[in-house]
Amino acid sequence: MVNPVQNPGLDRTARLLDLVPYLMVHQGIALPDLAEQFSIPVAQLTEDLTTLWMCGLPGYTALELMDLSFDTGYVSISNAETLSSPRTLNRDEVLALLLGLQTILESLFSGNQELVLPVESLISKLSDLSEAKIANQVQSGTSVPSLLRGDIEIAIATRAAIRITYHSLTRDAITDRVIHPLEFSTSHDSEYLYAYCEKSQGYRTFKLDRVLSLSQSPNSEERLETQILEESAAPTVINIVVTSRSRDVAERFGIAAEKFENSAQPEVAVESFSPDWAVREIMSFGGEVSLESPDNLRKSLLGRSQRALGGYN
Amino acid sequence: MASRKSERLINLTMALLATKRYLTKSEIFRSIEGYEGTPSTKERMFERDKDDLRKIGIVIDVRGIDPLFDDEPGYRIHREAYSLNLGEISGAEVALLSLAAEAWRGAALGKPAQSALIKLRSLGIASDFDALPHISPKLAVNSSNFVPLTRAIAERITINFRYMSSNLQEELRVVNPYGLGSRKGNWYLVGHDIPRASLRTFRLDRIVSEIEFQSKASSFQPDSDFNILAFLDAHLFEANNTAQVRIRSGRGHALRKEARLISSDEEFDLFELAYPDESGFIDSILWHGDDVVVLAPQALRDKVIEKLKALVAVHG
Repeated sequence: MVNPVQNPGLDRTARLLDLVPYLMVHQGIALPDLAEQFSIPVAQLTEDLTTLWMCGLPGYTALELMDLSFDTGYVSISNAETLSSPRTLNRDEVLALLLGLQTILESLFSGNQELVLPVESLISKLSDLSEAKIANQVQSGTSVPSLLRGDIEIAIATRAAIRITYHSLTRDAITDRVIHPLEFSTSHDSEYLYAYCEKSQGYRTFKLDRVLSLSQSPNSEERLETQILEESAAPTVINIVVTSRSRDVAERFGIAAEKFENSAQPEVAVESFSPDWAVREIMSFGGEVSLESPDNLRKSLLGRSQRALGGYN
Repeated sequence: MASRKSERLINLTMALLATKRYLTKSEIFRSIEGYEGTPSTKERMFERDKDDLRKIGIVIDVRGIDPLFDDEPGYRIHREAYSLNLGEISGAEVALLSLAAEAWRGAALGKPAQSALIKLRSLGIASDFDALPHISPKLAVNSSNFVPLTRAIAERITINFRYMSSNLQEELRVVNPYGLGSRKGNWYLVGHDIPRASLRTFRLDRIVSEIEFQSKASSFQPDSDFNILAFLDAHLFEANNTAQVRIRSGRGHALRKEARLISSDEEFDLFELAYPDESGFIDSILWHGDDVVVLAPQALRDKVIEKLKALVAVHG
């Protein structure tokens, strides 16, 4: 069975109904602004307004029809009280707002406690609507604010420095620091960030859900030159062979499933700004991934594995 | 023509909203513009119109007019059912709701979020953005399956899709979807896997096909108190297993956070720690190299030793 497609005619009817209350509180809005609000071209909007202008209550004389004027480029409406209140939210709209509010709740940290209550009361208000009957079944509980992740990804890609507020659980202290993010990793179902930390003058691992806030570092350009470039100017290319058909390995190194169709043990080149981190990542796959080259990293991995094994004697 | 149809639907909505009593079909056909043709054509038009309005969330109430004869049903739209009613709502709350809608920019529910925003802005309450901190939350999920999945959950429709298994094979799954939720940056679908006859969890980004609906609505009944986050926490993230590990002094911070210190010597600290899933825990032990040694349970210790031997064999 095919999924039902959205009906463009009905989308338009819904939009026409929603235009009326919007216009009632935005009398005199410019056509292009209104079109932008509703994400439609101006030509479509004038067509919509022309249609609305023909609608009204039984009788359909000037007394009963809605009155719209927009030939000056600015839109106003009158005689439209019947449709003046905005329509109730539908299921997708309630869901979008509820998940959005849950995300806000997660983005709040100790600094904005005063907002927790208002957000929670809105969540319970929306959950009471009949359109919210799946509120328990669809929920967002990301512990890592996704915006944070996006900003860090950009910082990694552009080699930029960022300023973070970090809650160290080990020391139970909150500190501000400037870091140069290098790599992400997921381990034990937590996300980690490996970065050069200016405060500690060395490479450190940060648990992502402990990063409380993030901002651009004011002098990141200049830092980039002085601190980091000498140690990891260009990524190291590491060649690996994947020895078992594993989804976890494929996901970690971004290997397409098709690679395994051509070869049972595909060889892949991966780039890393921090070879030490890459060696640990490969080790965590316990022999499912073989580090082929560069040779010094292969030796380092072997030595590390032998020492770890020594711990069990 | 599409415009005429829209016109008729709007005229119908307006008339049924404005009326103080229930209107009969013949009154509707007589007074509302757009109903033309033979009586049976008008009937069909009206049935389709009712259906279409229901699809965009407008509920027409139907009632028999004469309780004694029950001859002709009457129709109207109740204003309370039609209108957005969030009770008393402040400018600061409107601002928060706007922020919630903005979080979907460019993501799966971007379109409904935008239409919700328009409805909020039509309330005539000025948003008070000064009350908000400078945060801009973002929902990053943009799977095209997100909207159809929420619909399948709401309407209880059985679905099928292709899923990437742990050994990288695409498998066809047939599932009664119970819930959709995110934890630690991933979105998960939980549902009753029909061929496997048990509740299973699927990561959204591992669903490699479009989901297909394969039943009518209301095809199954999930547990009434099903809560997606509670389920995910209990099944994916609850640390049910414990291990004793030795961690080198000053190392293994990620592991120390969730651990209970038992004793320390000069070089190592001995911890007891709980973990949810064994293979993820083994990955993490291996990642730490010789800074972490598993002491107990023996089965876990043996698996780590085996993996380390494999690492040495592969790279030796």
